[in-house]
Amino acid sequence: MQSMSRNILITGANGALGLAIAEYFLTKEADCRVFLGVRERRERAEELATRFPGRTDLITLEITSPEAWKTALAEIEAKAAALGVLINNAGFHEDALLANMSQDQWSRVLDANLNAVFHGCQAVLPAMMRQRQGRIVNIASLSAISSPAGQTNYAAAKAGVIGLTQSLAKESARMGITVNAVCPGYIEGGLPADWTPEHLKALKMQLPMRRFAKPAEVAAAVFFLASAEASYITGTALKIDGGML
Amino acid sequence: MPTRQRLKELMISELMLDMTADDIGDDTPLFGPAGIGLDSVDALQLVVMIEKHFNFKMADQDQAKRILHSVSTIAEALEQKAVA
Repeated sequence: MQSMSRNILITGANGALGLAIAEYFLTKEADCRVFLGVRERRERAEELATRFPGRTDLITLEITSPEAWKTALAEIEAKAAALGVLINNAGFHEDALLANMSQDQWSRVLDANLNAVFHGCQAVLPAMMRQRQGRIVNIASLSAISSPAGQTNYAAAKAGVIGLTQSLAKESARMGITVNAVCPGYIEGGLPADWTPEHLKALKMQLPMRRFAKPAEVAAAVFFLASAEASYITGTALKIDGGML
Repeated sequence: MPTRQRLKELMISELMLDMTADDIGDDTPLFGPAGIGLDSVDALQLVVMIEKHFNFKMADQDQAKRILHSVSTIAEALEQKAVA
């Protein structure tokens, strides 16, 4: 149970995991208001918003731009007072072997997955510090801990997210702000579209649970880390991998 | 309540210090092993605390470093602002 209504911003809210996190909050926390951070693609977030009228708002947010963060937060504060929870979920991977990776591929992935988390945290911290409370949950990845070939950019970015999380947790611990990360493994709906059924089947055979995570299973952990009950958990990087590691 | 006493009580509650106001001398350095032992995170919190409770915004890091030396230096800066 939460003690007060909260305003929650979820970036990447048009993706499978972002949608699942948003729906989890909206279902489990009756009086919360969820801001769905989106860019051009927003059709699934719009559909979710129609199911929770009055409790959801779409916010256009280019996460790699500090100015866009300022604008988005001003919009949120004008509509619903200060933000209580930030879920840095948006991100993408663009895999290539390092020998073939272009500077642009490296930079794009670092910008979206790591620099954007820096911008987001920096944007929300002043208000959270004034309120002396806040929850930040960063979506990292199992790739940060066990980095596969072809993901030097993504693995480095997500490992950076864990480092940022641990360091910022120490900086903000005495201000009532917790900062945590989750490290999901394979998630249904979040896998590359070009992976064949045979490849997916072979992949599942390697997993102790022989299945991928449902987005709601990751969302549940995010929800807990953002809850009042998780008040003494900060700086953690929780792996959600069905026992892979 | 006198400014110095108020500052000490705010510091204890906002910085979660396990001490009483009497343990903090007016001129005791706030930072470093010879003083109260506050750290850089506390400094950031002090800046926010002073802005929030006294509506006093530090102009820059040099000014903050000068003012945040002790309870007395903070109080003097606040009193000067009140007179100005």
